[in-house]
Amino acid sequence: MTLAAPVSRSVVEATELPRIIRVRPNFHVAAFGLMKLLPARFMLDRAEERGEVGPGTTVLETSSGTFGLGLAMVCRLRGYPLTIVGDPAIDAPLKRRLEHLGARVEICPEPSPVGGYQRARLDRLEELRAEYPNHWVPGQYSNPDNPRSYALVAEQLAETIGVPDCLVGAVGSGGSTSGTSSFLRMLVPELTLIGVDTQRSAIFGQPDGPRVLRGLGNSLVPPNVEHTGYDQVHWIGAAEAFAATRELYARHCLFMGPTSGAAFKVADWFARRNPDATVVALLPDEGYRYQDTVYSDEWLRAQGLAHAGAAEPYEVVAPNEPGGSWTWLNWGRRSLADAS
Amino acid sequence: MTEDLAVAAPAPATVTDPRAGSFRVDAHHGEILQGVFVAGGRLRRGLVTLPCPLYSTRATFLPTEDSGTTVRPAWRTKARRAADLTLARLGHPVPGGLLDITSDIPLCRGFGSSTADVTSAIGAVLAATGRRLPPAEVGALAVEAETASDSLMYGGRAVVFAHREGEPIEDLGELMPLAVLGFGTSPGGRGVDTLELTPARYTSWEIEAFRPLRGLLRRAVADRDAGLLGRVATASTLLNQRHLPVPGLDGILAVARAAGAAGVQVAHSGDVAGLIFDATDAETPARLEFAAARLDVTETWQFETER
Repeated sequence: MTLAAPVSRSVVEATELPRIIRVRPNFHVAAFGLMKLLPARFMLDRAEERGEVGPGTTVLETSSGTFGLGLAMVCRLRGYPLTIVGDPAIDAPLKRRLEHLGARVEICPEPSPVGGYQRARLDRLEELRAEYPNHWVPGQYSNPDNPRSYALVAEQLAETIGVPDCLVGAVGSGGSTSGTSSFLRMLVPELTLIGVDTQRSAIFGQPDGPRVLRGLGNSLVPPNVEHTGYDQVHWIGAAEAFAATRELYARHCLFMGPTSGAAFKVADWFARRNPDATVVALLPDEGYRYQDTVYSDEWLRAQGLAHAGAAEPYEVVAPNEPGGSWTWLNWGRRSLADAS
Repeated sequence: MTEDLAVAAPAPATVTDPRAGSFRVDAHHGEILQGVFVAGGRLRRGLVTLPCPLYSTRATFLPTEDSGTTVRPAWRTKARRAADLTLARLGHPVPGGLLDITSDIPLCRGFGSSTADVTSAIGAVLAATGRRLPPAEVGALAVEAETASDSLMYGGRAVVFAHREGEPIEDLGELMPLAVLGFGTSPGGRGVDTLELTPARYTSWEIEAFRPLRGLLRRAVADRDAGLLGRVATASTLLNQRHLPVPGLDGILAVARAAGAAGVQVAHSGDVAGLIFDATDAETPARLEFAAARLDVTETWQFETER
């Protein structure tokens, strides 16, 4: 055994893969520093190979969170100008981080009447495309290179864990859960895939509406979500996710963001109910961005979200059936049309 | 087992001169894994072969004062070329010689007959001249002699081998003991002309999909877990089915599941395939029997990789 790790060629290569940590005998987490670095790097690699991106290309993307940050890092290291179209979910510290990386950040102040901020951002992106003749849009919600980038994660999980029985992850663009599971199922066809969403997200058939828990869910249905791949869908509320995020840190010293908390809570429930199953939860990013919110008792109290929320999910038979703050549906690898 | 097979090989080598060197190479049974793999920052075609001691090739080389190598039988020209290339690589310690090839490996079926000729010829020249070469150099010579080569020079090791360059991509370690129920996948065992096959053009998704297969194979070899290796072989079979289809694969997979096989492997440039079982499992003989009775194929055979 050697203590000398190989030298990475960049911070992207050094941090794009997760640390795999066994938190209980049958429960592993894949804890990413910044998961979206992986698809951002991979999508740009493939675009460069195809000749879609080269010297002088401006990268344009809509993002309200970590994909923008991952893209900003990759673009800065390779010298591509970047414009991010975001919405108020990009808080002031994240906006500053993006700008320090050379990105131009445009915030859409108002949601569209239909499709919310997501629609407003996409509309503004269309205007920008016309302004930049030499541009490239990664399109994380529809670019098939987003899910394909997760073969690396599947390789790492296969090598370190072998054949997991269950993969749990938050769903926003569909890249990490649909991608990782599609590759793992070459080796483990019986793999149970659990998607974690939040109320008033359109991805799995709920009517779109304002959401407190961000970083997962969507006002539109991203083409990269392969609905027929999911065995279970869980809709989790902000209070549960935030409390689980704090618990993840307090019990396991894993300082992660709220999408990680949401995935952890659902995976923890499944792992307890299935002690013979090897469960893996994807934890997308670290907690630093949330120190003044999720990690602040004062903020949680002010939001009325200081309670732990539901300890158990309520099973529903349709996506929009009311049932409490945490519901789950035996999705059964259905299409969205079949579930609605 | 090795010696028994050598004795069982038909038509023993005719060269008995004490100055002769000889070398025997077992057949293989196609691939455990074949695809494209990232190595040195680029994509390379590669494969991991399944050793098969059912058949073997023995080459005997007698140094002579001739200027080149004469091979018997004369049609084994790739072996002659390999011997000449080896002599040149060694700096001609002897000018030439007489090369006898004795083989019972069926041709054109995916058992690696051609690579066995070439690899045994190289081994025989080395034995006769008292020289040694590392497997990677043997691999390079083999590719030079026959365009593409399998990884027979690595014996029972699981090596991801760049078969068109003759170079190891990754040595995963010693294979665990496997029991295999082999069978022909085309009626009458008519075989496949390996060099006539167009290399598979994999899609972007397929190229990425080979990553987790390699990852699980690392784990399988490290843990000596035949079950995990079988999953890799089945996945490789399915990924390559679009490129060289195995007739009746769905039925074969169904028998494999019913029999409790670890997985299904195929010769990606041949017409043999196998159900893989854990050779150390007490239930394997019964499972082999169960599977052999249910496979809808014309011929079957069984073997174990060496323990």
